[in-house]
Amino acid sequence: MLLPATLAAEAGGRKRFELEAGTVGDALRQLPVAGLLFDEAGELRRLINVYVNGVDARGGRLLDEPLTGDSEVRIVGAVAGGEGNTLADASLWL
Amino acid sequence: MGVLLPVGTRKGLFLLRSDGGSSEWEVEGPLLPGWAVYHATVDPRDSVLYAATNNPFYGATVHKSRDLGQSWERAEEIGLPEESGLKLAAIWHVEPGLAAEPDTLWAGGDPGVLFSSKDAGVTWEVNRGLLEHPTRERWQPGAGGMCCHSIQLLDGTMYVGISAAGSFRSEDRGESWTPINKDVAAEFLPEKYPEVGQCVHKLLVHPKRPERLWQQNHCGVYRSDDRGDNWERLDGNGLPSGFGFALALDPDDSDVAYVIPEESQEYHYTSEGRLGVYRTGNAGASWELTANGLPDRAWAAILREGLAYDDGGIYFGTQSGSVWRAPRGGGQWTEAARDLPPILSVEAASV
Repeated sequence: MLLPATLAAEAGGRKRFELEAGTVGDALRQLPVAGLLFDEAGELRRLINVYVNGVDARGGRLLDEPLTGDSEVRIVGAVAGGEGNTLADASLWL
Repeated sequence: MGVLLPVGTRKGLFLLRSDGGSSEWEVEGPLLPGWAVYHATVDPRDSVLYAATNNPFYGATVHKSRDLGQSWERAEEIGLPEESGLKLAAIWHVEPGLAAEPDTLWAGGDPGVLFSSKDAGVTWEVNRGLLEHPTRERWQPGAGGMCCHSIQLLDGTMYVGISAAGSFRSEDRGESWTPINKDVAAEFLPEKYPEVGQCVHKLLVHPKRPERLWQQNHCGVYRSDDRGDNWERLDGNGLPSGFGFALALDPDDSDVAYVIPEESQEYHYTSEGRLGVYRTGNAGASWELTANGLPDRAWAAILREGLAYDDGGIYFGTQSGSVWRAPRGGGQWTEAARDLPPILSVEAASV
């Protein structure tokens, strides 16, 4: 599991985690920064993308995407802010 | 004793420090890189630094530092109950509790929600009185979202300001809230003087005259002398515009206030093409430009948390990345820092 810089800073400076997990969701929930990945309803935050071995898991089963022992999982923030994101929209006015 | 200015920016937190003379400033930062710091403040009870931190990918939270920014702790997950049908969009403001209530803090957020912490910012509980307020269906977001931003704490009374719901007062420690928006205009609504729905930008209570409140509103500058039961509109008395976000007071003189007018709700830059701070010394009967040292050609924006004051001076930060300081009472403005990222908040603390 590879984290981007902001999450790594929240994880005590650690960017790489070796985890045992059957699915993407299992892996994400083991991270010390899981609270920053899932909202209060337990849903993966909309602008977080997860890549498994270089493939976007949102195009597959996302949290249910199965993992194997040598899977590489990378967390990446979406490049585009998208519509309806409060912070991105607010930045137009602030 | 020196001055510490926690300056929240879109790209993290900066700390400006100066010894008593306040002419030379050291700049440290960015701390909390990757986080938009909507507000940061030093708790006067124990000098712990708190930051309302927001990230478009990872959500909203509160960070705290016990060593003035060298290390940080993040709050446990802050969110809204499922049955509310709402999700937390941002944390806008952190307010340390009263001296008699150690470890208690309050935080305002979007959508128009208030949280309290009883364990020095580790866990946060939503305030049901506002979350379930009977007028909530008539609230609406302001341009920056529906933010609960101004939290004023007195012994026995609390006030909050919410864009765009209005100002509210509680006399039972937040259990219930009374709208206090009489005579405050909402010119963008069909009913111009509704019970709720006003876009209050900043609400302050004078620390030594608790019945006197001031607000910079979307639709004017106002003062109340009866705890918000009635409001008097004050713009048009020398102010180039009634629109703006920032507001500051003088801790010893309740007749003094400062605002930084902006051109209009459509343009959001300082009035008259200059960086103009306006001061009243007569409770709003008249306002005067106090801008010695400020550029007379500038199109800046100063946000609701961007103007601060302490015993020694007044300070503001611009979306253009400059921090300015003037001695208390007005006088010469000096630029304390420049070329910071867009500034979202400025506070002042003695350290």
